[in-house]
Amino acid sequence: MQRFLDPAVLAGISSLDLLAKTVVDGFVAGLHRSPDFGFSQEFAEYRAYAPGDDLRHVDWNLFARTERCYLKRYRGETSSQLTVLLDASNSMQYTSGPPPKMDYARFIAASLFYLAIRNQRDAAGLIVFDDEVRDYIRPSTRQGQLMRLFAGLEQAEPRARTDYGKPLRHFQALLHRRGIVIVISDFYEEPETIVRMIEPLRFHGNDVVLFHILDPQELRPELNGPAILVDLETDQKIEVIPEYAKTIYRSKVQTHIEHLRTRTRAAGMDYHLLVTDQPLDTALREYLSLRHAGN
Amino acid sequence: MGFLAPWFLAGLAALGVPVFVHLLRKHVTTPRPVSSLMFFERGIQSSTRHQRLRYLLLFALRSALLLLLVLAFANPFVRRPATDANGRGLLIVLDNSFSMRKGTRFADAKQQARALLAAKPHAQKAQVIALGGQLQVLTQLINDESQLRSALESIQPGEGHANFGDLGRSIRAMAETVQRPIDLHLFSDMQRTAMPANFADIVLPPNVTLLLHDVAKGTAPPNWTVERVSAPTELADPKDPKRSRVEAVVAGFGTPQAEKTISLVVNGKPIAKHKVNVPANGRAAVEFAPIDVAYGFNRCEVRIEGGDAFPADDASNFVIRRSDPERVLFVHAANDTRSALYFGAALGSAAQASLVLQSVNAEQATDLDPSKFSFVVLSDAVTLPSIFEHTLAQYVTKGGSVLIALGTNAGRHAHIPLWGTDVKDVHDYSRTGGAATVGQADFTHPALEQKQPGRDNGGWAETKFFYAAYVDPGSARVAERLSDGTPLLLDQQIGEGRVLLFASGLENLTNDLPLHPVFVAFVDKVARYLSGRERFSGSQLVDSFLQLRLASAPVDEVANVEVIDPDGRRPLSLSEARTVQTLRLQRTGFYQVRLANGRDAVIGVNPDRRESDLQPIAQDVQQLWSGNISHSAPVQTAAIDDVKYRPINLWWYVMLLALVVALAETALASRYIGTQREEA
Repeated sequence: MQRFLDPAVLAGISSLDLLAKTVVDGFVAGLHRSPDFGFSQEFAEYRAYAPGDDLRHVDWNLFARTERCYLKRYRGETSSQLTVLLDASNSMQYTSGPPPKMDYARFIAASLFYLAIRNQRDAAGLIVFDDEVRDYIRPSTRQGQLMRLFAGLEQAEPRARTDYGKPLRHFQALLHRRGIVIVISDFYEEPETIVRMIEPLRFHGNDVVLFHILDPQELRPELNGPAILVDLETDQKIEVIPEYAKTIYRSKVQTHIEHLRTRTRAAGMDYHLLVTDQPLDTALREYLSLRHAGN
Repeated sequence: MGFLAPWFLAGLAALGVPVFVHLLRKHVTTPRPVSSLMFFERGIQSSTRHQRLRYLLLFALRSALLLLLVLAFANPFVRRPATDANGRGLLIVLDNSFSMRKGTRFADAKQQARALLAAKPHAQKAQVIALGGQLQVLTQLINDESQLRSALESIQPGEGHANFGDLGRSIRAMAETVQRPIDLHLFSDMQRTAMPANFADIVLPPNVTLLLHDVAKGTAPPNWTVERVSAPTELADPKDPKRSRVEAVVAGFGTPQAEKTISLVVNGKPIAKHKVNVPANGRAAVEFAPIDVAYGFNRCEVRIEGGDAFPADDASNFVIRRSDPERVLFVHAANDTRSALYFGAALGSAAQASLVLQSVNAEQATDLDPSKFSFVVLSDAVTLPSIFEHTLAQYVTKGGSVLIALGTNAGRHAHIPLWGTDVKDVHDYSRTGGAATVGQADFTHPALEQKQPGRDNGGWAETKFFYAAYVDPGSARVAERLSDGTPLLLDQQIGEGRVLLFASGLENLTNDLPLHPVFVAFVDKVARYLSGRERFSGSQLVDSFLQLRLASAPVDEVANVEVIDPDGRRPLSLSEARTVQTLRLQRTGFYQVRLANGRDAVIGVNPDRRESDLQPIAQDVQQLWSGNISHSAPVQTAAIDDVKYRPINLWWYVMLLALVVALAETALASRYIGTQREEA
């Protein structure tokens, strides 16, 4: 289990300001700020009334003075909820050298869990999925939650294939409380499909972040000669020539990545590409830095 | 081709290794897992084929390397003749003798030679030779076609007399250095007169194959020619009936009986014509007398009017010089009264002579100028006035000639004027009761010249010598010796002049030579030789040589010679005019010459009349000549089979090739491996 808790990784993350990531969704005072507006006494802003809004939030004093309905919003202080959606399909076991994509994803998830539970006192949960939800650990701050999450990560061995359609229907049922949702996958699917399936999580008020895990060989494959490639998920085989892998494939992958990044950001989600030869802390630091810059 | 170590060929089994690696062993491609085939497409067939082709090239190189290594160890060799397939030398001999001027003979021969040269393989070496009065080797055995062609084109019709004997001798000499087989192509009119007297002279070496190209085309046409002209070279009195006459012999070759008109042309003007009846295939003489010529050199020509099939030989050139009679200074001792009588009588009897003898006592010769005489005779005159001796020495140095006869006074006075050395001894054979005879005679010497001396030693065998002085010959040429070895006639060059020393007297006391007919001939030839008329007679043959200066004369002290050929050109350059000693008379016509000693001469030059006989060599003789080679061919072939083949070892070349293949294989393989590393 200690392999998930590399002190060097944790030290690298702790030195960064995690506030930048959780400022809008934290209920815990201090480090995290919740993205929700609650019942605290700290005024946040006024917003024009819209049909359907709760009338209890209307500032009647203001209405008396201006004869206009405004909702008075307060900044609530709460603990955040981190849910990691880990893709455990067969494609995640691909590796051209240690670590495999699956292990790399486990490292990230474990680091985030540790950070959230030990440092931020946030609730953290895990959903392991492939073509269905294989494991679900409810987000909690209870004692032993971290160990359960780690155990869930240990048991998440790659198998079957990815199908975002079926498990995401369960996500919406499981994630009834808003928080940070981090989807860790290699996203071998059409960007439209991915966004279409994950986008509902965002509609529920979650802050969705996509960690796109890829092996360097998947970005820049090198073939000695014509080679037979086997799809880890479908077992389909085709013969591919090096010239194609050097030129057209790379172009297609880059197009896919750019398309995915564009579509996710257009849908209000964050996207980050993490290559398995990059240091783990570097990847998290980069994400957190970008997150901070985004705020 | 063979192998010196054929058991190494078993190593060819190693060729199975690349065959197995490249062709038999399947390329096992381990499927590579990938996360998804979402972005992959199936490879293009042509690219795969290109890759396979590269492997096949590598396979071929590796197989070739193994094959070459095995071959190198097997030590291959080839049996090749000492001369390769194109090793037969091609010898093109083009006859450009005078007879080739007849009709289109020369043009036809040249055209055939040109065609042969064009048809020869490029690698075959050839040589071009012109066969005229002299054999001219124009190229070595080369395969430069342009050089051969230009050499062939440079051959022009000549005026010399071809001799197949010379050709045979030259080819035999050539065959001693050139070991390869030679095809000798002779383009000629195959004139019968070109054959030597001895058939053995034309036999060719075994490695020479003779191929005759006869351009005469059938039988010889009838041809008349002026075969011989007898005319005085010097004429003092045109009315002298004995000397003022020109005799010509007209000959017909293959001709019917015919009446021909013969004319004598002097300096371009016909002065006399005679009709002569020439018998069939025979000769007829015609005489023109007297002949009236002007003073100086007269260019004369005897011509057959009317022409025939070969008009180039219808005239004969000669020169008659009309001058006053020249004098010969005869200086004798006071007690010698007979020698002048004998010598003068002999000189007057000489047919061609126009010399007058002036006899003086040695003591009276003090004031005489030798340069006014044609030559000087010192008969037993060993004691001369010192002034005259000095004048005589200068006369000789400047080109004068002297005949010294040593009589009985030589025993009393050892000194010999002009000669440089003294009398060493005196042989008085009469005291011993006998006489000496002529033991050796050099009949090539102009004073003794006889082309075919008889068995009586050219007439000298009957002469008896009772008294003779012994003179150390030193550097002088000994032309005649007595039976005891005593030099009898010596010839020495002094300056530009010449001194003949006769070691006995010119009277009948010391010998009986004046009583023999050979004495007249001897005096005549001596007179011709010393007066210079022998060298500059009025008619010469083409390709004869004219001596322009003496060889012993120092170069820096002699004057230039001057030669104007029949075309009016000067064939000698300025440097040649100062150094050249002889001139080859190559053209028909009149040469105008000024010699180094200041004398002028005009020489008529005629082709060799043997060229006028156009009769070709009989077919059987031609076959015998060329077939002579075929008789010895089996021996030659056997010799070639035994000797001419030699094994050429090829292992060095095979190893060299293997090295090249190994380098290519290394380059290709490293390039392939390098690509793999890059891809890895």
